[in-house]
Amino acid sequence: MSRDAGPEAPPVSNIIAADHLSKWYGQVIGLNDVSVGVPAGITGLLGPNGAGKSTFMKLVTGQLKPSKGGIQVLGEPIWNNPALYFRIGFCPEQDAFYERMTGMEWVTALIRLNGLDEAEARAKATKAIEAVELTDAANKKIGAYSKGMRQRIKMAQAIAHDPELLILDEPLAGMDPIARRKTIRLIKEWARAGRSVLVSSHILHEIESMTANILLINQGRILAEGNVHQIRDLIDEHPHTVYIKADLTRALAREFLAQDDVLSLKFEEGAVVVQTGRPDAFYARLTDMAASGEHGMIHEVTSPDDNLQAVFKYLVKS
Amino acid sequence: MRPPPLVPSALRIFDLSLGEMLWSRRSVFLGVLLGGPVVMALGLRTIWTLYPNSIQVNGAVVAGTTIFGGMIWALFINIIVPLLGVFYGTSLIADEVDDKTITYLFTRPIPRRAVLFGKYLAYLACTILLVLPSVMLVFFLVVPIGSSSIAEGFPSLLTDFAMLALGLAAYGAVFALVGTRLKRPLIAGLVYAFGWEPAVMLFPGYLKRLTVSYYLQALVRHEMPQDSGASLLFQVLREVPSVSTSLIGLTVIILGALWLAGLAVERREYVLDQ
Repeated sequence: MSRDAGPEAPPVSNIIAADHLSKWYGQVIGLNDVSVGVPAGITGLLGPNGAGKSTFMKLVTGQLKPSKGGIQVLGEPIWNNPALYFRIGFCPEQDAFYERMTGMEWVTALIRLNGLDEAEARAKATKAIEAVELTDAANKKIGAYSKGMRQRIKMAQAIAHDPELLILDEPLAGMDPIARRKTIRLIKEWARAGRSVLVSSHILHEIESMTANILLINQGRILAEGNVHQIRDLIDEHPHTVYIKADLTRALAREFLAQDDVLSLKFEEGAVVVQTGRPDAFYARLTDMAASGEHGMIHEVTSPDDNLQAVFKYLVKS
Repeated sequence: MRPPPLVPSALRIFDLSLGEMLWSRRSVFLGVLLGGPVVMALGLRTIWTLYPNSIQVNGAVVAGTTIFGGMIWALFINIIVPLLGVFYGTSLIADEVDDKTITYLFTRPIPRRAVLFGKYLAYLACTILLVLPSVMLVFFLVVPIGSSSIAEGFPSLLTDFAMLALGLAAYGAVFALVGTRLKRPLIAGLVYAFGWEPAVMLFPGYLKRLTVSYYLQALVRHEMPQDSGASLLFQVLREVPSVSTSLIGLTVIILGALWLAGLAVERREYVLDQ
């Protein structure tokens, strides 16, 4: 694992290359003098909320203009370069849609903006919706979708035009365990086909299940880049909090309490919040429980970033 | 790979936006507002049916075409068209930003300007679809009053439609520019449409040439009743440009405002609240 990449320009082979990239909003610094290269394949951008992840993602997707320095995506500057979006698919973090449209209408309409005619766009939308396993709900209004379905339809619009680079901002947020597993599989298959993915998250476990290559970001700086396994031990020292929204929270709690990795547990409205010492084992078990259906429906799994924040504090101190 | 050209991209944004715009709460509200002139026309028609020859000015029965012309000028040109322009024009991009859907449009291979132009076209189609039934109903209710006939007034109806469409295009372009440049575009737009324009039109001088209504008034073909003090004063102060000057003026306003608005959208960063 290496610390901040330093003043040298990143090599050309990188799919994303930031050179002394800074972004500030008035007096507030969003990103501070970042020079980093993102190689082909899957790269995870990991950091707590407010670390600069969103700013970095917005700069990478050309939504923001660098205040200083530069950023190149697939070898070209991204700001005001619409042609580059033929090669990029972006799944944003925000839960925003044209709610009155059906999933199929929405994906088709967005794909048409890539210059496709109606029939071509519909064919690609159908394929993408199939890939995210939403075919049955394709003709339902997005307003009636669950959180997990909304995440998956966002993913469909990002992959529908078969881009070289997929940029995913917190793609697993709010998904149920089964949808999570399927989405992770989809991302990995995507990369196996020779394409690249930049995925952001504040949950190490999520990133780790997709890739070993990470960028750690905190307070507007790239704190570390490299192999995820080297920070694994650090994170294991800190309890991991998981928020689970489900129908039968008490039945789930009974099951959790029988496991020795569960450190504490509390109930919230329609949800149970668990602290675990071994997130890997916990998530694997949770996915099996969701798949078996014996403990009722699990609607949503999220993780606050307190534990990650603790790891960052540790890293900053060391 | 080159990005798709501006016009096809704008037409695709138009396709995407029209349905959303037509069924928005804003359209429902303004659709109800456009029922106002229809209710007024219905009232006049009822009075005329119950009490024939009761609608008079200075002892003379007022023709239906004159009432219709008055309503087009006073209600549609002076109030409804600027109001539609303000409400829709200032929100063309702002709505997408507020709803956080702008990201999906700005991360597609189309020029950013195409988003504005496509949404502007959707605004035009949407407002014309809202205004058209209202004007038609007013026409069929009001024109038969007095001695006027529908056949007689029909050519003027077509001219009025064209003028209203031009007014919507001009106000929409101006307020689209306001919407892309200012932080509180709705307030600024309302002040411009219902404060600045009417005030400037009352005074002689060149300042009124910076308004849309100065050019629009030349296109009003209806004869207005001129016996009241207010109308006489209005006639004295009224400086009406020729039709060709008006058409050129409105074209310059539309193209200039849209070009500047497009430039603003290209250059501006839209930071969405998390």
